[in-house]
Amino acid sequence: MVDPVPVNHRSGFWFWPLWTLTTAGMAVAIGLVFLYVPDERVMGAVQRIFYFHVPAAIVAFFGVFLLLAGSIGYLWTRDRRWDHLALASTEVALLFCTIVLVTGPLWAKPAWGVWWTWEAKITTTLILWLLLLGCLMVRRYAESREVGARLASIVGIFSAADVYIIYKATVWWRGQHPVVFAPDKAGGLAPKMMHAFLTCMPVFFLLFALLIFVRYRLACLEDRAEAVLDRALEN
Amino acid sequence: MSETGFIATCRLVAGKDLHLEWRTWDTSTSSLVFSLVVLVIFNFAFDLATVRELGVGRLVPGVLWSVIAFAAVIGMTRSFQLEQRHETLSALLLSPCDRSAIFFGKFVANLVKILTLELILVPLTAVLFDYDLLAVLWRMAGLLLLHTIGLTALGTLFAAIAVRVGRGEALLATLLFPASTPLFISAVKTTGVLLGTESTTSVADWLTLTAGFDLLYVFLALLTFEVVVER
Repeated sequence: MVDPVPVNHRSGFWFWPLWTLTTAGMAVAIGLVFLYVPDERVMGAVQRIFYFHVPAAIVAFFGVFLLLAGSIGYLWTRDRRWDHLALASTEVALLFCTIVLVTGPLWAKPAWGVWWTWEAKITTTLILWLLLLGCLMVRRYAESREVGARLASIVGIFSAADVYIIYKATVWWRGQHPVVFAPDKAGGLAPKMMHAFLTCMPVFFLLFALLIFVRYRLACLEDRAEAVLDRALEN
Repeated sequence: MSETGFIATCRLVAGKDLHLEWRTWDTSTSSLVFSLVVLVIFNFAFDLATVRELGVGRLVPGVLWSVIAFAAVIGMTRSFQLEQRHETLSALLLSPCDRSAIFFGKFVANLVKILTLELILVPLTAVLFDYDLLAVLWRMAGLLLLHTIGLTALGTLFAAIAVRVGRGEALLATLLFPASTPLFISAVKTTGVLLGTESTTSVADWLTLTAGFDLLYVFLALLTFEVVVER
């Protein structure tokens, strides 16, 4: 018999403030990107994708850190809540990876003349996308939630440990991604562009936090529903 | 568990797997025939004229490592499917021995099987794609060993996972190939250098990366195998 996972109802309190902040932030960010920022001299309007593409990429890789933390935490403590975190970060990181992989080619076609190139950062993101999908597949195929959680944690740890090595390998293999922030130059962005970018970054982190929060709560509820069902079947 | 116990268990498990293979030729036949078919298909895809035009070093490494990867997936899945089918994994797990030793035994058995397969495949590519294997024999052997270790360590663990959730080769390939991208890039690059198209400057970097990858994944797999087979 599975013990019902207690849902902390007070945690629902954080949903609306987070939602409001994210929505307002996103409205401001979209306004800045489309109304405030000037057209880029060479690339034109399409460069505006940058303000969503780069934050989404950074947030996706941040999600992988959370996945690593959740996976190790779960295997260490066997506390379901760590697994909920791992599941939430897998799915949300997958979502942001998808955004990166869709916005990248949209920008690359006008800017580079090709939809896709096997460049280091793009390749790493694609492989990360596949790895995250693998985590979810293992979880889905397993005979029980518990086994799925365990096996997905292992795949999660391996995937997260892999990301940097994959990046290193693909950089050595080939590279031509635009570097906007070179450490030696004092920022390659015009001030207005920098404002928009610095607004988009925290807004994407807010969106990420909101999605993780919602998915985490949902996983708690799923566990609880399953526990209730188990109890009903037992009686 | 003492250290001799670990090594003794490894030898027992690996010995059992290899003995079984020696008696039945079950896995080797299917992976070997499969890789032959793939090689033949590659020969249709790139005929000898194309190979000569592109240069051996540009084409053969990719073909060789694709074939090895596919064949390895079949072999490694099989090694756990057999255990699952006859419930012998449960018996292994019930025995009072270190589970990471069981993993290491399986890993060694798989490694021996894949290396044996490579022993047949590599000369065969030399014949089919016409390059001088004898000139690079020892360096080629070293490269194959270094890259196969990492591939097998990761593959053996993921095969246990794939079979555990009731899926075979397809899931193993889905998990293994993305995760071992660095290995494949390194394998193709360094084999390319050996066969004489790429420049030789970065070989040391690739070999260091691969050695690090091998160590990290053997270690991680030893650490996590217990969790995979836990009932």
